[in-house]
Amino acid sequence: MRERNAAVPSLPVADVLSVGDGRRLSLPRFVLEVRLDMPAWKQAVAIGCSIVVGMLISAVILIVAGVPASDLISELASSIFDAQSFHAVLVQAAPLILVGIAASLGFRARFWNLGLEGQMVWGGIAATAVSIYHVGPESLRLPVMALAAIVAGMFWVAIPAFLKLRFSVNEIIATLLLNYVATYVLYDLLYGAWKDPSDAYPHSAQYAGAERLPDIGFINSALPLAVVFALVVWWLAEFSRFGFYLKFIYANTAMARLVGVPIRNVVLTAVLISGGLAALGGFVISTGSTGRLTQGFFEGYGFSGVLIAFLARNNAASAAVVAALVAMLFVTGQTFQIFYQIPFSMVQMIQAIIVMCVAASEFFIRHRLRLQR
Amino acid sequence: MHSVLMGWLINLPSLAVPYALASLGLIIGERTGVLSLGAEGLMLVGALAGVAAYLSFGGYPLAALGVSMVAAALVSVLFAVLVILLRVNQVIAGLALVFFCQGLTNLVGTVANWQNHTISGLHDLPIYPLSELPVVGRLLFTHDVVVYLTIPIFLAVAYLLNWTNMGLRLRSIGESPEAADAAGLNIYLYRFAAVVGGSALVGLAGGYLSVGSAKIWIAGMTSGRGWIAVALVIFARWHPWRALLGALLFGGIEALIPQIAAAGIRVPEYFMLMTPYLATLGVMVWLGIRGRTGADEPAALGQPYVREERT
Amino acid sequence: MASALELSGIQKSFGDFRALDDACLTVEYGEVHALLGENGAGKSSLMNVAAGLYSPDAGSIRVAGNLCRFSGPREATQHGIGMIHQNFKLVKRFSATENVLLANPRGAFRSGKKAIEREIREKAQALGFVLDPSRRVDSLSIAEQQRVEIIKALVAGARILILDEPTAVLTEGEANRLLATVREIAERGAAVILVTHKLRDVKAYAHRVTVMRGGKTVTTLDAQNATAEELTTLTVGSNIVTPSRSAKPAGEARLIVTGLASGSIEGHTPLLDATFAVRSGEIYGIAGVGGNGQTELAAALVGGRPPSAGTVEIREPGAQALTDVTGATPRERRDHGVAAVPADRQAFGLASSLSIADNFGIGFVHQGRFGSPAWVDHARMARAAQQAVAEFEVQGVRSLWQRAGLLSGGNAQKLILARELSRMPSIIVAHSPTRGLDVRACAAVQRRLLIARDQGAAVVLISEDLDEVLSIADRVGVMTRGRIVAEFDAPADRQAVGRAMVDHA
Repeated sequence: MRERNAAVPSLPVADVLSVGDGRRLSLPRFVLEVRLDMPAWKQAVAIGCSIVVGMLISAVILIVAGVPASDLISELASSIFDAQSFHAVLVQAAPLILVGIAASLGFRARFWNLGLEGQMVWGGIAATAVSIYHVGPESLRLPVMALAAIVAGMFWVAIPAFLKLRFSVNEIIATLLLNYVATYVLYDLLYGAWKDPSDAYPHSAQYAGAERLPDIGFINSALPLAVVFALVVWWLAEFSRFGFYLKFIYANTAMARLVGVPIRNVVLTAVLISGGLAALGGFVISTGSTGRLTQGFFEGYGFSGVLIAFLARNNAASAAVVAALVAMLFVTGQTFQIFYQIPFSMVQMIQAIIVMCVAASEFFIRHRLRLQR
Repeated sequence: MHSVLMGWLINLPSLAVPYALASLGLIIGERTGVLSLGAEGLMLVGALAGVAAYLSFGGYPLAALGVSMVAAALVSVLFAVLVILLRVNQVIAGLALVFFCQGLTNLVGTVANWQNHTISGLHDLPIYPLSELPVVGRLLFTHDVVVYLTIPIFLAVAYLLNWTNMGLRLRSIGESPEAADAAGLNIYLYRFAAVVGGSALVGLAGGYLSVGSAKIWIAGMTSGRGWIAVALVIFARWHPWRALLGALLFGGIEALIPQIAAAGIRVPEYFMLMTPYLATLGVMVWLGIRGRTGADEPAALGQPYVREERT
Repeated sequence: MASALELSGIQKSFGDFRALDDACLTVEYGEVHALLGENGAGKSSLMNVAAGLYSPDAGSIRVAGNLCRFSGPREATQHGIGMIHQNFKLVKRFSATENVLLANPRGAFRSGKKAIEREIREKAQALGFVLDPSRRVDSLSIAEQQRVEIIKALVAGARILILDEPTAVLTEGEANRLLATVREIAERGAAVILVTHKLRDVKAYAHRVTVMRGGKTVTTLDAQNATAEELTTLTVGSNIVTPSRSAKPAGEARLIVTGLASGSIEGHTPLLDATFAVRSGEIYGIAGVGGNGQTELAAALVGGRPPSAGTVEIREPGAQALTDVTGATPRERRDHGVAAVPADRQAFGLASSLSIADNFGIGFVHQGRFGSPAWVDHARMARAAQQAVAEFEVQGVRSLWQRAGLLSGGNAQKLILARELSRMPSIIVAHSPTRGLDVRACAAVQRRLLIARDQGAAVVLISEDLDEVLSIADRVGVMTRGRIVAEFDAPADRQAVGRAMVDHA
């Protein structure tokens, strides 16, 4: 039964805009519409484009700062094609993979683990302590160092996790503040008790041969170690029951609680693993690259971890790939530091620009701008 | 002992000012519902811009501070666009802003060679004859212009928020953007203005740090004060006067560090430097114990406003 | 004289979903015009268009004969249209004066406040109710907050007042008072549009009624002359048989609640003392106007929030002893056979961004039905989900891997029921399970609860829809001000129940 009450004909849209005296305004309006779904490949393209835009913006800033444009491209390219740079990239990739998966696991549990640098510091400190106090037989020294690092990282992240659980302390601020605390502990040790007496630099004594991660052929064993952990975390997140719970905790925590997901245990486990992995990153740098505990080994990894997790959408497997790209950025940044006196924090700046571009592109992924006349 | 106490109290105000102004700037933005974590970065921008203007335009400290405010406001436009217009997650955008500013200020400071130049900066301005009063004169009336202006600034902002139509509108947007929208307010415009305006104050805090206090630009010189300011806003429960109190507390802690060494007490250097951060953590735990973490939080804090979404 | 408001040919779509399809409405000054329709018929959407909150894809709006286009609620207000939404657009921490001042600036702040306060008192007096404008809105009752909203619209000069489901949150007495006020406003020359799905409101207080269904305008009738059957048929479109229960003896007590008390959630009345028992094979309906402790009771029963006092005990099938689950976690309760159907589907029932299969499977994963802790068997989960979707008639499932958020309200609820009820739980706590659903979906949900009851479950049905409780519950408890104040056996006398809902003020 479909009667109309008044027989008013429906007006074409254009007349809606006509002002009373018969004139017509044709002001187009932009209307924001939410897209219901966007196919995954389109999303990937959008993100790819925004990364490119981000890099272009960074390039402009660097050129204005005095870096010749041609050098920008050649240095970035050489990080893949030049053998020495490529090797450096692989070395750099290992700790980046570890902080990347650490951050992504934390984020999956809705825990903003921004304390990656502090956890790395404690990983380095714990590993160095094992070395200095000769804990365990030499043949097992490396695994013991790794274990100590993981435990130290778990301990350091357990503090803000506990504060959040028990006192509702915002973990963003807590983890960041603890970074500064960890750094000062490091300085205290490096300028004080653990300072290498053989020279004037604030670093620890060199590790013994058995305490350094060996090379496997062309590359340092840090990289396969990191990749293995990435695969384990990927499995955990995608296929295990733990990961299934984590998915729900991330998607709708209140619903997860009601449906019986053991939220506290799952989140705590994820956060502890996250801290342990970040600390392992510190272990890997100390035993794989520097061979001792140094002052600034952790710098830049904190935000890099966040960036990697963000670009990889908290997926551990993608994080490994993104980490490799970030490693290229790191190596390029180090080159620029040496040859052009551009401070290394430009790498952070480029990463931040990329994050902003990708985040902005999400708006256009989720919405469509329609012209309404 | 007396000189240690005096030394501490005299230095306190100028160390408290950056915390005070930064948290006030954050409060303005957050009362409209925009969570701003970028204070650390904006303070760096203000700090560099202040020194840059001082070095480039012939050493006028007040003008330099003005440039600090403008520079931070300009950079915050980027954040505002991301967060208000493009509805980017406010935590991510804030973090990105901080690291962007850290990298950018370091880069610009190095390339333009503005770093590590000591400047004479902002001078103290004793208010004669009040400054001649015993004890009180030295404590209260021998500071610089910015210290003196801090209280009036707080008064002005508190008045704006609580006693004007504009303040009513700003607060309503932070409490219930749906109600504000239904009342016909342009949510985006007000939030934009609040964020950018508040950021100018944050920039002033940074500029004061470099031009007024340290009288030099060094990369990363804010050392986490921006994060402490963010925590202060929560501690202050988004009320200006409580933020001032918190700033005095943290300024006091910072002022204490050199005095302890001067008093001859032997404490490991780096553990002393940790105290502001540990104190901040302590304050947040205390807030959590009292169970009042969210009591006065603007109800819509951190949520981008959408009027017409049906998914 | 030109009509107050004339909407013609309004179209509005959200993506694929057609909310309004060629919808029309004409309202005259001085009348109370009811807009009648089921949930999802498009009434609220149409009114949002009139109030400037939605922009129509096509169609025209005429106010007092002049063609208008609103780019936001402000312009609609300037044309004299005031809307009182279901969710009040009030700033809870502000006073009534400040809320009204926000929308209607009157010069400088302090003098403006005084001026507004005066206007509020005047208008309230003219309409015959008492309102203290300086009290904070969150300290007022729902009915009082609603009055603030009305006054706010009148101070803004509204000559067309739209009320969206105003009686949904009121007791019958408050509702009658409101509708009398509304009649008064119309008699003073304004046009009032009453959006509702309650026939009673239409018949008692409206002059004319326009029926909507499926986004379209069906017809407009004189409210007093139209019969209830006529209106029902127009609203629903066909005959929906509401399920009824068959008499069946109940078994032993399964759920025993004693002296349950809990703090309030979101400023409702806290739960003060709930004592009742539910037996296997029976539906215990808890009737009452929303905000009287129902949310707190539901939370205490399913484990969302531990109560501050009292006990919740369960006797599992075949067990002799009672198990005390007062402080148990939701998971522990589920292990003991408790199933929960929450009131807020979006917030507590489903994870909208995850797939239908996942949303089904999460209910069973920890028992090991779909693989081991090391590996979740998604294939098996999908098969089980497929079966459940078919059995519970969940429509709109193009793929089990599509986002659950794409399901319509009714189908989402059926999915939740599929997950909860296919476990054969011995106790079901259903809180407003048919809220926001159209008649067909309501009937389906009620049928499911009756089937569960027939299979021996003890069902607690907390619902603000008195008709629903009266039709399917075996026993009715009335909840007022945080207590169960009366119990009735079916068939319960509607008047007696209604009295119990109000009396204990």
